[in-house]
Amino acid sequence: MNRNVSLRSLALWVSILTLSLIALPGSAPAQAPIKIGLLDTYTGPATTFTNDVRDAFKLAIDEINAKGGVVGRKIEFTTRDDKFKVDLALSMAKELIMNEKVDILVGTINSAGALAVSELCKTEKIPFLVTFSKSEKITGEKGHRYVFSITENTAMIGKAAAVGLSKRPFVKYWIAGDDYEYGHALADGVWGHLKKIKPNAELVGQSWWKVGEPELTPYLTAISAAKPDAVIFATGGGSMVNVMKAAKATGFAERIPIFVHTATELSTLEPLGAEAPEKVIGTSNYHFYYPDNPKNKAFAKAFKDAYKREPRVGALYGYVAAYFIHQGLIKAGKMDREKLIDALEGMKVDTPVGELEMRAFDHQLMLPMFMGVTKKVPEYPFLIAGDIITIPAKDVIPSIEEIKKVRGK
Amino acid sequence: MGFLPNIGPAEIFSQLLVGLSRAMILFTICAGLSFVLGVLRVPNIAHGTLYMIGAFATFSFSKYFGGASGFWIALILAPLVVALIGLVAERTLFRHLYQREHLMLLLFTFALALILGDLVKIFWGAEYRSVPAPDLLKGSVSVLGASFPRYNLFLIFVGLAVAVALWLFVTRTKIGKIARAAAVDRDMVGLLGINVSWVFAAAFVIGCCLAGLGGALVAPTVSITLGMDHSLIIEAFLIVTIGGLGNMWGALVGSLIFGITQSLGVLVFPQFAIVFPYSAVVIVLLLRPKGLLKSVW
Repeated sequence: MNRNVSLRSLALWVSILTLSLIALPGSAPAQAPIKIGLLDTYTGPATTFTNDVRDAFKLAIDEINAKGGVVGRKIEFTTRDDKFKVDLALSMAKELIMNEKVDILVGTINSAGALAVSELCKTEKIPFLVTFSKSEKITGEKGHRYVFSITENTAMIGKAAAVGLSKRPFVKYWIAGDDYEYGHALADGVWGHLKKIKPNAELVGQSWWKVGEPELTPYLTAISAAKPDAVIFATGGGSMVNVMKAAKATGFAERIPIFVHTATELSTLEPLGAEAPEKVIGTSNYHFYYPDNPKNKAFAKAFKDAYKREPRVGALYGYVAAYFIHQGLIKAGKMDREKLIDALEGMKVDTPVGELEMRAFDHQLMLPMFMGVTKKVPEYPFLIAGDIITIPAKDVIPSIEEIKKVRGK
Repeated sequence: MGFLPNIGPAEIFSQLLVGLSRAMILFTICAGLSFVLGVLRVPNIAHGTLYMIGAFATFSFSKYFGGASGFWIALILAPLVVALIGLVAERTLFRHLYQREHLMLLLFTFALALILGDLVKIFWGAEYRSVPAPDLLKGSVSVLGASFPRYNLFLIFVGLAVAVALWLFVTRTKIGKIARAAAVDRDMVGLLGINVSWVFAAAFVIGCCLAGLGGALVAPTVSITLGMDHSLIIEAFLIVTIGGLGNMWGALVGSLIFGITQSLGVLVFPQFAIVFPYSAVVIVLLLRPKGLLKSVW
């Protein structure tokens, strides 16, 4: 018995020693894994989006490790749940950097959290790849050497919508949305750009409802009465579903063209099933069925094989983030944070949506936007986007002059 | 902007109908809240959470049974599940608390709302859920040239049916009569030698069942999600307050005021429509601080 215990404690000591050897920087053997911290919201409604980021990120890391890793080392990642809270995001980020000794941080869907973690990464000199937060400040006003955005932002969303809508014959617009910061920012973004591209566009009215308003039918019937050419909905989260349902039930979508950002995205259309209205105009960075190229097909298939579901837009962000890290490390030659950042600047990586460039100046990934119209198809139990037009990133990304202006340089 | 140039009688009429259908959902929920307030003197903050459970249960049942009849089965089963939860809560918890002061009851039901809310999160998860409307009620009909969703017409009929059923219950049944008497003078009913314990249980279960029915009715028109209880419970308390606490017909009047001022407000002044029902509440409370109809408190 005694012998047993001492043997066990010996084994314990050996493993502790080995672990501390691995954890000790400098003395680490070449084959110790590169550590990445994945910090995001894994409780609450945001998981609709963040689970796909994590799962696709894992898929990519598994692919990379299966081929022997990168720069002679495997990649290992640890996840942390910030519960959509800024203070938690910040303390978890600190914990990942101090205790887990991660080399790179990835994640966050909460814009305020992303901005806080970004500031921390600036002082700690840790590369931080933002995967879902949409604030244009991340790579704009608050941008710096250590932060990268692998997703669209409110400026790009607004401009993409404006570019896409300006190609249609609408003049009289109505704006309706959730009465909170994101809703108004989105609406201002779309309208400001639209007015620039198409000066004769006319705003005939607006309606704003409180966030989570369950009954949107009266708003829609009131908008119908004003007979606008098109309606821009500035909504997010659960209101998306409410708008789509009310638009379907009242027959609104058949009478008046409506635009909703992410209306064509799987995250919106899948929960609605056959209940989604047709002919709704929407924009998104990704569809598992578009662009129809071998790279996207292979990715969508690998994701479905692994997780038994179709990849949503978050999956693209997670997958692309992993491959930018991979390519960046190859170019840098070793895990060196400063060299990795130098390598990432201006880097081009082949992704499921084509070759994407990380703009060197502001570290904003140049993602194209796909504008489509919802339609029923026999292949799927949910609606998909049809008549897709690709709006290239150069048409929607804020210019370098604009970035310089907001950064006060 | 602001005032719309082309509001005709058709638009006003269709807005009135939309407001009426919203009022009917609110009435179904508030009648339950008001009934519990009147008979048990319990300001049940968990009422909104029971409504949320009703909506989630409708999602699960209509998915489980599926097909054309799924929703109809769910519409019956979901309120019963909520009623069962109410029965368990009343027999194990509330029964021991009736003699406590209102503040204690308020805090207790608030705690219950949080606990039930977390149980919903554990059981159904945090994703948005959506229930399809039954085929029979899909699409819209034309009312004086303006299109009106069929489902909302159905809501108006259900609301009226609930009102009639409640009226029959409180005027024609023994439990109903005792409950009504208990609402007016609880001590007197006790002094008459009536064992009010089971009457209270029945009243609470009916109240919960109505919350569940409200949740089931609202399910096909919204995204079912955590937090849908919070926004509702505030509106519900405002409605029972302006109607007269504990007065079921007050709940009907309050719901009508709330639903219709909102829908007409949207038509007239869409940017600031949010304020209309609340302004109506303020005006009512200024003119009649105890509510429009007789309060039992």
